[in-house]
Parts: sequence; C-alpha cells; structure tokens
Amino acid sequence: MNVTRENIIVAVGAVVAVVLQVVVAPSIALFSAQPNVLLAYVLVVAIVRPLEAGPVLPFVLGLVCDLLGTGPVGGMAFLFVLASFAASRAFAVLDNDTVFMPLTILVAATFAVEMLYGALLMALGLAVNPIDAFLYRALPCSLYDCVVGLVLYPLFARLLAAGAQEREMHTPRLR
Amino acid sequence: MALQFQQRGSALVRRVLLVAFLIVSLALLTTYAREGETGPLHGVQSAVSGAFAPLSRAGAAVGSGAASVGEGVEDLTANDDTLSGLRDANAELVEQLAQAEEYRQEAQRLQGLLDMKDAYDIEGTGARVIGRSATAWDQTVAIDKGSADGVDSGLTVMGPSGVVGQIVATTEHTSTVRLLTDPQSGAAALLQSTRAEGVVRGSLEGLLYLENLDADAEVQVGDIVVTSGLGGSYKRGLVIGTVVKVDARQGDATRRVVVSPTGAVEALEEVLVVFSVGSDAGASDGDQGGDGQ
Repeated sequence: MNVTRENIIVAVGAVVAVVLQVVVAPSIALFSAQPNVLLAYVLVVAIVRPLEAGPVLPFVLGLVCDLLGTGPVGGMAFLFVLASFAASRAFAVLDNDTVFMPLTILVAATFAVEMLYGALLMALGLAVNPIDAFLYRALPCSLYDCVVGLVLYPLFARLLAAGAQEREMHTPRLR
Repeated sequence: MALQFQQRGSALVRRVLLVAFLIVSLALLTTYAREGETGPLHGVQSAVSGAFAPLSRAGAAVGSGAASVGEGVEDLTANDDTLSGLRDANAELVEQLAQAEEYRQEAQRLQGLLDMKDAYDIEGTGARVIGRSATAWDQTVAIDKGSADGVDSGLTVMGPSGVVGQIVATTEHTSTVRLLTDPQSGAAALLQSTRAEGVVRGSLEGLLYLENLDADAEVQVGDIVVTSGLGGSYKRGLVIGTVVKVDARQGDATRRVVVSPTGAVEALEEVLVVFSVGSDAGASDGDQGGDGQ
C-alpha cells in the first residue's frame, strides 16, 4: 500500500473511529441502542473511494468491533468486508452525482449489517424473537449509524475527494 | 497503458484480499463458536476488552468534563460585566457542595452494598464500574477488579439492591460483567412465596422474563424472585427482583412473567462480586473465585 495523503487520512480516521466507539458511543446510547461508528466509517470510506477502498480497513475495524464486545469474533469482520464491497460497487454503478445515492446506499448497508448480525447471533443461540431483534436493535442502531454516517460523509468527501479527483477517480461531489 | 495495468493489478489484489478476508472471518467465526469459554479467541477478546477499559473510564471523565466546561463558559459569559470576588467564592462553594453531594451519594451506595453484604453474609469484593459495552448487541459493564483480586468467570455480581449479572471474562485488573438484562443471560430462579422454579432471562427490550414456570405454579404481582442456585451459575437465595406482570393465566404452560430488577442497572456505579454466600463461605474459602461456575 502506498503512503499517500488519502491513505494517511483513512488510517487516522480509523483510529479516531475506534476511540469514538469506545469512549463516546456508550455514553450516547438511547434505549440500549448505540451507534456503530466503525461501521459508519467503513461505509463512508467505501462510498467516498469506491474504486480505491479495499477490504483491509473493513476487516481490521470489523475485527476490532468483534473484540470490543462479547459477540462471536469474525462476525462483524465478515459483515463489514461484505458491506464495504457491496457499498463501493453499488456506488460505482449507481452514482448520479447527487447526495441522494450515497445516503441511500449508507442506509441500506447499515440496516443490512445490523439485521444480518442479529440473524447471526440468533443462529449461534441467542434466544430472541426476530421481530424484537428488528425493532429493538437493528432498526434503531442502523438509524443511529446513519446519523453518524451523515456527519462523517461530508467531512471525508471533502478530505478525500481532492486527491482522487486529480486522478479522475469516481468520487462523489457534494451538491 | 501502464496506469491501466496498475489499476487492473490492484483490482485483482483487492479481490483476492476480499475472498481471503471473508474466508478468514468465517474461520474465526467457526473457531469461536466451537471453542469453549477458555479458548484462545475468547482469551484475546477478553484481553482486548480489558485493554480498552481504561479508555471507557476516560469517556466517563470526558463526559463530566464537557459538562463542567459548558457550565464554565456559561458562567463566563453571564458574569462578563459583573465579575467579582463574591461570585468566584460562590462558584467555589457551589462546586464544593456538588462534590460533597457526589461523596454523599457514593457513601450511600457503598453503605447499601455493605448492608446487603452483611444481610446475606456475603464473602466478596467491591468494584467500580469503569466502562460499558461498546456495541449495542450486548449489555455488559467493565469493572476495576480482575483475576489479581480473586475475580473469576462465573461469579455472581450484585448491585446495591440485588443480583445484576455475572462475570464472563477477566483480565488481571479488570473484568467484564454480563448484565441480567442481556438476552444471553439466564439465571435459575424461584418465587420466594411459592418456591416455584423457573429461569430469569434478559431480553432486547431490557426487561427480565421469568420463564419455564410450571403451568400450575401460582404467580402474583409483587412476588419476590430470588436465585435458586440450580446449575451453579448463580449463588442461591439472592434477590433478583419482583414480579410486575403476568402474561397469561395459571395453567398456561407458555406464560411469561415480567420481573422488575430491584435496582436500575443503567445507573450502576459500584458492584459487589460474590465469592460465597452464608453457609458456603467456609466451604469455598479454599477456592475463592473459582466456585461460581
């Protein structure tokens, strides 16, 4: 991996995301729902750099997310890698130069990850009703993730877009 | 041409990495699901949680610090014209009063824990809550006592008014407590009045349910629910909460009973890790911390 300005920004952002997840996320929990800053960050990077974002960042942050909790190690890593890939491909294909498309992809991806993680926990023995999992965790958590994504997206679109546009990469422009 | 080749090459590398990471993730997942509580992945998870616990503590400090800064800024702007020594003294007194109130509340909570320790004749150690779960799918807290203090996986943890959870992982100086309200929690319990047995489970909505009761068992709102000690996962005879709702009538085998915990687990600041209770204190002196399994 080349040490470029963008890569440094992504790496620093990842460290900040981990700190925010540990320090801030538990303090802003609402009715047991708290944001997954790491997921929001991974998806934002995947959308902002659709042709450059690889699977290393989602795998590492997914693994960190797994190790910070008490859930199955590898679960979030798997879902982060899949979601990041799907989000970047979807954006590369569907981008129409408006903010609507990245936000739609962000919402869909966060919801898919939270739902699939709940399904994974249930498959591994968590005795809860799927409707409860949807209502009390997947839905509020994915909404919370989207709010975090909404904050991160303009910031990273601005930080990472400059270099990519110079190289004629497919990068969103805020309109 | 060269640029195209480079892009194709890096795209290929990304795809290979994508497949490799997916395979590694699935391998980790399978290993984690199959290994026991003492397996290497559980060990790494526990160590990482312990390593990040001090950062969680910093989070709590940052929260209160931010509040103080906010108040400070507010005071500064309000007193811009009329700043005086008297106001400074007043501010100092208010701060001292707030500090004293904090100490008073802490003393009250600690007294509650001590009273409960005496009432149940509990052998254990007090601990402070230093962090909360960083993910939404599990309800756990981190405490500042670990294996160096005799804390071990499986031990019962009590709040000021009753059982709040169980130790699920330890490092040398920190431990992770899975709260009773976590959906993965389960405690063998009985109704104090009728001795009807069941299992108290947590749920995603944060309620406690008493399940697996006999269809004939009588349940009344207000009944006290205590741990039964069956299965050995929790110590016997400790208060969990009171019955607040019964979903179906007597005779219905699938009825669920809603139990209200005796203490608010969201507001936990200090807890008591139980090594032994009452009569089993003498028996477990030799293996303190290891008999909670």
